[in-house]
Amino acid sequence: MTDELLKIENLKTYFYTWAGVVKAVDGVSLNVKKGETLGLVGESGSGKSVTALSILRIVPRPGKIIGGSILYKGENLLEKEEKQMQKVRGKEIAYIFQDPATSLNPVFNIATQLVEIIRHHQNLSKEEALKKAIELLRLVEIPDPEVKIWNYPHQLSGGMKQRMAVARALSCQPNLLLADEPTTALDVTIQAQILDLLKSLKQKLKMAMILITHDMGVAAGVADRITVLYAGRVCESASAKTIFRNPLHPYTRALLEAVPSLALRREKLKVIPGSIPNLIELPSGCRFNPRCEFAKQGVCAVQVPELLEIAPDHYVACVRAREIEAETPFGGLS
Amino acid sequence: MKGKTPKKTVITEPAESKRHKGVSQWSIAWRRFKKNRAALAGLILVGAIVFMAIFSPLIARYPVNYLASYNEEGKIRLPPSSKYLFGTDYIGHDVFSQIVYGTGNVLYVGFGAAAIAMSLAIVIGLFSGYYGGLIDNLLMRITEVFLVIPFLLILLVFLKVATALAPSGVGGLTTVMLMIGLFSWASNARIIRGEVLRVKQHEYIEAAVSLGASKWRIMFRHILPNVLHVIIVLTTLQIATAILVEAAVSFLGFGDPNSITWGQQLQGASEAVKEAWWEGVFPGLFITLLVLGFSLFGNGLRDALDPRLRE
Repeated sequence: MTDELLKIENLKTYFYTWAGVVKAVDGVSLNVKKGETLGLVGESGSGKSVTALSILRIVPRPGKIIGGSILYKGENLLEKEEKQMQKVRGKEIAYIFQDPATSLNPVFNIATQLVEIIRHHQNLSKEEALKKAIELLRLVEIPDPEVKIWNYPHQLSGGMKQRMAVARALSCQPNLLLADEPTTALDVTIQAQILDLLKSLKQKLKMAMILITHDMGVAAGVADRITVLYAGRVCESASAKTIFRNPLHPYTRALLEAVPSLALRREKLKVIPGSIPNLIELPSGCRFNPRCEFAKQGVCAVQVPELLEIAPDHYVACVRAREIEAETPFGGLS
Repeated sequence: MKGKTPKKTVITEPAESKRHKGVSQWSIAWRRFKKNRAALAGLILVGAIVFMAIFSPLIARYPVNYLASYNEEGKIRLPPSSKYLFGTDYIGHDVFSQIVYGTGNVLYVGFGAAAIAMSLAIVIGLFSGYYGGLIDNLLMRITEVFLVIPFLLILLVFLKVATALAPSGVGGLTTVMLMIGLFSWASNARIIRGEVLRVKQHEYIEAAVSLGASKWRIMFRHILPNVLHVIIVLTTLQIATAILVEAAVSFLGFGDPNSITWGQQLQGASEAVKEAWWEGVFPGLFITLLVLGFSLFGNGLRDALDPRLRE
């Protein structure tokens, strides 16, 4: 138990819009151990980002965290005062945004932005902070950091900007890094570089990370554990190996089958029919049942599946998980 | 109000590292401003008039309020000549010298009123845009009240009241400046609020929140620098407007009769426009030149600072 860093239980974050209450996150539980990388996977609108924003309590209006608990190092972040939260943000838990083009302030040079954060959380002189900032750039493998640090964001390429954003997130040695689709806005070769960088940094700095992605391939490359979200709920949670070898939730399977693979010479990629449900009026029972190929009449639309430990450390929220495991073994990925 | 404004710690590049210079948005803007001839002309006009204000005793030909033509020749309203460059007015002042002495007063009202108006506009625009909700609603309704009242009329009423209430010896030009400033912030506040709303949604603001910045810091350290380009442009245009309003108020006889301003000169000239055209034309010309200068300068700044036009 002592190596548990973050434990979210039954988190509920709703958005109160004019059209109705959007249940973006509706009872998500997950945990992250020290030094572990958790891949948070799901479609757009499945609640991945809102979960991460909830951890730092920076959910934009009209969103509100209405229930559950977020234990970080045993303390409930939801009970902390705003002033104390400001000390957690950036220092204990840091966030990397999706689009590096807009996540750096355009009017300040990199040095100013890094030194500000370093001095905000640590008691250092300007010179010491600047030295540290240059070290950070070296850490995120920016060539010629003494020069590049004086650049403004508009002078840097996309990949370089994301490295700067990573450096900023790391500036106070956080114990937990929330990376919200850090590679989505980058082109493919740069994506691989940033992912490699994140992997090596995590080992060097021994920090835990939650990697949010809609790309199973990205999660496969980096994550130790994977939690799959669908419509604000956890579908399946297990080690990355288990998720790829023996996925039990129909949604996880569908996601994996939608990944292009060289080994399986399929003519066409499988797609998941339909789209993510309207989060204001959710389907009854299991939220995935209208799109599920395994759905059973009279069961799936009635019974809300609980997240159960089917095998050691393998949690699935599907009523038919055991039947599916017995009847149709997964042969999807090589 | 609680909380302190965060300290400014913009880190600048040491001079010795010139290899790969960080190019700030300001240096880009200046480069573009230099290419704009109209804007440069505006800057030169404004510069020349500021120069005139600073060195007025050296430029003017006669002492302040000296009744040049009356004292020396017993005549008033003499036409322009080599002795009286712009002629003399209804009691014999040298019009040119009075224009020169008025420059400082005109700029004092212009800059002062703009400073007051812009400070109010910045604070109200920032709070309104950043906090949103109830605070926004309240501040914007107040702003609208200021927008719908007939500006000049209410200004004249308040000027009369303020001048009457102020103890003698106090006020004058300063009252005029204060009143103009207090009544001309509203439209600027709305524009700044709009800009804040735009900047607020950017991810770098969210990033600053996620890194532990307080609301105060977000507002003044992260949002304000990003709306500064708008504020600068609005300020130059506000100075021009304030100068025009002062001239109008003085012309209508609500200004400070004891200070020399170009508007006051216009008022004196209004009695004899046909007989002594020089008495009004020259002060009017200077008002036009100064306002033109500020407008060209402001428009040039807007073009240079607009992020959408960046190369």
